[in-house]
Amino acid sequence: MSVARTDKDRGLNRLLRMPSFGVRMMLPALLLLAALSIFPFLFIVWMSFNEVSPIGGLSFEWAGLENWVNLFADPAVRSSWVLSAIYFVATVGLEMFLGIAVALLIHELVWGKNLALSLFLMPIFIAPVMVGLLGRFLVDPTYGLYAWVLNATGIFTKNILGSGESALVAVILMDVWEWTPLVTIIVLAGLSSMPGEVIEAARVDGASYWQRLRYIVMPLISGVAIVALLVRSMDAIRFFDIILVTTNGGPADATKIIPIRLYETAFRFFDLGYAAAIGLGMLAFSIVIANLFLRILKAQGLAR
Amino acid sequence: MTESSRRWSSQIVLYALLALILLWTLVPIVWMVLSSFKSPDDILSTTPKVIFEPTLQHYQGLFTGSNSLGGYVKNSLLAAGISTIISVALACLAGYGLARSHFRGKQHLSFWIISTRMAPIAAVIVPLYLIFRNLDLLDSVIGLIIAYLTFNLPFAIWLMNAFFADLPVSLEEAAMVDGATRFQAFWRVALPLVTPGIVTTAVLCLIFAWNDYAFARTFSGPESQTIPIAASQLITQTGIDWGKLTAIGTVVVLPMVIVGLAVRRWLVRGLTLGAVKGE
Amino acid sequence: MGKKGERKAMRPSNGLTRREFLRITGAGLAGASFLGISGCGEEGAGGGAAGGDVWKQFKGTTLQFISENTPPTAAIAANLKPFKELTGIDVKITQIELGALVEKVALDFGSGEGQYQIIYADPYQVLAPYYQGLAELNAFNEDDSLPSIPKGTGDFIPTQLDAAGKFESEEELYALAYDAPTMIWMYRKDLFEKYGSQMEQDLGFDPKPSDSSTWDQYYQIAEWFNDNANEVKYGTGHQAKQYDSLMCDFSNILWAYGGDYFENGVEVGRLGSEDPGPAQLDQPKALEAAEFYNKLLSIAHPGSTTWDWSGVDEAFRAGELAMTPNWHEFAAGIETSDLGGKVGYTRLPTGPARAADMYGGTGIGINSGAPEDEQRAAWLFLVWATSPQTQRMGLFSEEGGGTPTRQSVYDMPEVQKAKTRPSDAPNMLTADAVFKAWESQNIGLRPKIQQWNECDTIIFTELSKMLAADKSPEQAMQDAKESFDRATGAA
Repeated sequence: MSVARTDKDRGLNRLLRMPSFGVRMMLPALLLLAALSIFPFLFIVWMSFNEVSPIGGLSFEWAGLENWVNLFADPAVRSSWVLSAIYFVATVGLEMFLGIAVALLIHELVWGKNLALSLFLMPIFIAPVMVGLLGRFLVDPTYGLYAWVLNATGIFTKNILGSGESALVAVILMDVWEWTPLVTIIVLAGLSSMPGEVIEAARVDGASYWQRLRYIVMPLISGVAIVALLVRSMDAIRFFDIILVTTNGGPADATKIIPIRLYETAFRFFDLGYAAAIGLGMLAFSIVIANLFLRILKAQGLAR
Repeated sequence: MTESSRRWSSQIVLYALLALILLWTLVPIVWMVLSSFKSPDDILSTTPKVIFEPTLQHYQGLFTGSNSLGGYVKNSLLAAGISTIISVALACLAGYGLARSHFRGKQHLSFWIISTRMAPIAAVIVPLYLIFRNLDLLDSVIGLIIAYLTFNLPFAIWLMNAFFADLPVSLEEAAMVDGATRFQAFWRVALPLVTPGIVTTAVLCLIFAWNDYAFARTFSGPESQTIPIAASQLITQTGIDWGKLTAIGTVVVLPMVIVGLAVRRWLVRGLTLGAVKGE
Repeated sequence: MGKKGERKAMRPSNGLTRREFLRITGAGLAGASFLGISGCGEEGAGGGAAGGDVWKQFKGTTLQFISENTPPTAAIAANLKPFKELTGIDVKITQIELGALVEKVALDFGSGEGQYQIIYADPYQVLAPYYQGLAELNAFNEDDSLPSIPKGTGDFIPTQLDAAGKFESEEELYALAYDAPTMIWMYRKDLFEKYGSQMEQDLGFDPKPSDSSTWDQYYQIAEWFNDNANEVKYGTGHQAKQYDSLMCDFSNILWAYGGDYFENGVEVGRLGSEDPGPAQLDQPKALEAAEFYNKLLSIAHPGSTTWDWSGVDEAFRAGELAMTPNWHEFAAGIETSDLGGKVGYTRLPTGPARAADMYGGTGIGINSGAPEDEQRAAWLFLVWATSPQTQRMGLFSEEGGGTPTRQSVYDMPEVQKAKTRPSDAPNMLTADAVFKAWESQNIGLRPKIQQWNECDTIIFTELSKMLAADKSPEQAMQDAKESFDRATGAA
């Protein structure tokens, strides 16, 4: 019956009815979201221009741009940013690469697909704080399984969390262990939806697996891959649980990424104004990154 | 080489790779499960012990006494579960509304929505703490639910919007021509079609809330502690109770495997529907 | 003066003094004798008149106690029943690690929430910065309508009461000494016995750990074990993770070498200061200490830089180390492990200036943001939890308990007996060492200043950089001093 409707009707219909309906549908969620986010946001902005201390009741003292100047002048914070960038690229990069690779692999399996995926998914159900503790348990120089294996095989005989580089690698791998499966399920979903005929046609035409991967599969899953990238990026900047319980930023500040620095400033030093400025810096960074990814998504005609 | 033998050999390579991957994933988990049945001395053995006399002492310790894990599990389920339900329910409405509306600045609105999820945790804790204190929500599961909404609601709206945007409008229009109201078209036509999307969104929200430590650490108290808090409480001044920690890990992970198996099909289908356009 | 008036006003309306009160109400006596007040037994038991009992006046109240995960709190949590029976008050205990505790308490104070009435007040992370959020306790102690501290405040070990309970003023009391972990020298007695004479020959001094042993000798012994003993991997291990533990481990040596964080460091440690002046970490003695510490750690177990106190304890128990400086309360775990009976405990070695043993004790205090009645109810808990009987219970409890903070507990015959093996309270095997350590000339007290969290982070971060060879000891100490001064506003 809809065939009878004209484009003009449809347009009119949208104009007259949809917006108000749409607004009504969005209103409850948006009001709640606004209530949850706007006050905290404004409060943080306000804090960032003040010296805020909880000593003797929460007190505010106007500090002007001091916190913001510190944010850019403080060499310790700057080194945390550099470290964060390394950490971000390494975790998200590895997770994307491995996540996509595992998804491609599982997709090709003829037997045991379900079981393999379920087993592979297990780490995402373990809270990061527990993953961190478990990691610490495994690399402990006295009784850690991995430390023992690495030592016995002579691959790495030093103390894993004891030196800067190996500690950073260790906390990165813990994050990768936990979150790679998230990328995998998202990408696997993309793979499952690929039109089988196209692939089969290519196969019949004699295209090798790598050729098919390069020219057919990859373009088809790039949309979901960017969704996965976006989800992981948001959290890679925010989360700090694993490092908090393993190295707490050490040794010699080798793992003190920016959210750890923020946490320390806020809840160890209670320099809440400065913490607010660091937090806003992180937010700005997240927004830039997210914008970048969304732009890529849009360029591919996949944005919504 | 024939086609079938080539397929065979490639499958063998695949399974070899799979074995490697599962080794990477499972060794820590198997070691965790094994350790949870070891006596404290066996856990701290300097050479890893694979053969040992199993003990249930850590599990008994977890579930007896005044601080039984049961309470933590209940709080975790309530906080993660209810925040997920609220997020997904509101997100279904909002996601649909957003997908079917066209107005200037729509992109900005949807970007604002997702950007609220990027708020740095340690910075938002202070203002949220003040709000919760004034509403008397500290140390309550309701407080945790609200805290989890701050990151799950925007995420759910963002995903549900994508799922609905993928749905061809024609189906709903057909229903409306048949006399359905706008809401009925949503409720009876669009919503059932995105069920896999709803499951996917719900599972992801559940994971994020279930795994939270930073918010629970500040906002929960004796009445509202969650499982990650229970784990962190095993860090004591005299050391980490690895036996209990690995026991908690085991208790958490094993049911999740079953849940994972149960919803996997939905999950993959859901993500398929939402994330890739133009089928 | 105004305080006196207030106290009067808080008296019960019938005008009875506290003594009369106790005499009339038998139950008061029952409570008092439970707490180990002797000498009033004659008046004996007898039914307590309901409502007249000072211990029962807050019946039905629920109190929240937030504490670090420590042995004494574990023991109390497992044995709350006597308190409930005595007072009718329910106490809910939250046990979390110290960082999370400080965060919660600070937010509670900052917002005036009063969520937790009873607070485990770490002297450095809670008491110094937030003493204004804690109720002054003498007012409760002198209040006739409330029970007072059995045996008085004088029964607490004086250095502990000062360090854990006071800030800047001798008069005001904000917390009662609750636990008392102190760093001592733990060593493998069996190995020292086996190799003693050989070591003496090789090293040219009696290696047996004693009050006259020096840090230099400690180094030589550790090196000797590295080279000569197969039973252990390394001679010494340390809690040198980039964490609070590293500051603790280093401070012992800093003080032994005559260095300190601030001028007049002893007083800044004992009573604390709001304005400690410029840091002294760049002074030659402090630098000497840092150089020695760096040298010592270079021959220590390489795991040291990842261990906090529990990590080094686990390594020690696993037989990796011959010696370690660690908190004395780990003795309880050591004695019940495979190493039981093989370990000796003594004070830390002495340096050019003195021997110093880091004190890590804490008091418990009352949140002044809580309603008055709840504060008064919380006082009952404070009195009970720090009473000799409760401390004795903790000491012998299965949970491991802590170590008493009161002289009278150490004088109990069963506690004296526990000082020798076989011991029912293995922590008491360290009693001789810690008792000496708590004397005012020996105790090692870190600065009790409001910016300590920041300064602590600065010093352990700089030391961590030094140990990672990122910085020379000189550079690390210089940078630490400058950062200290910026943090304390002395720059």
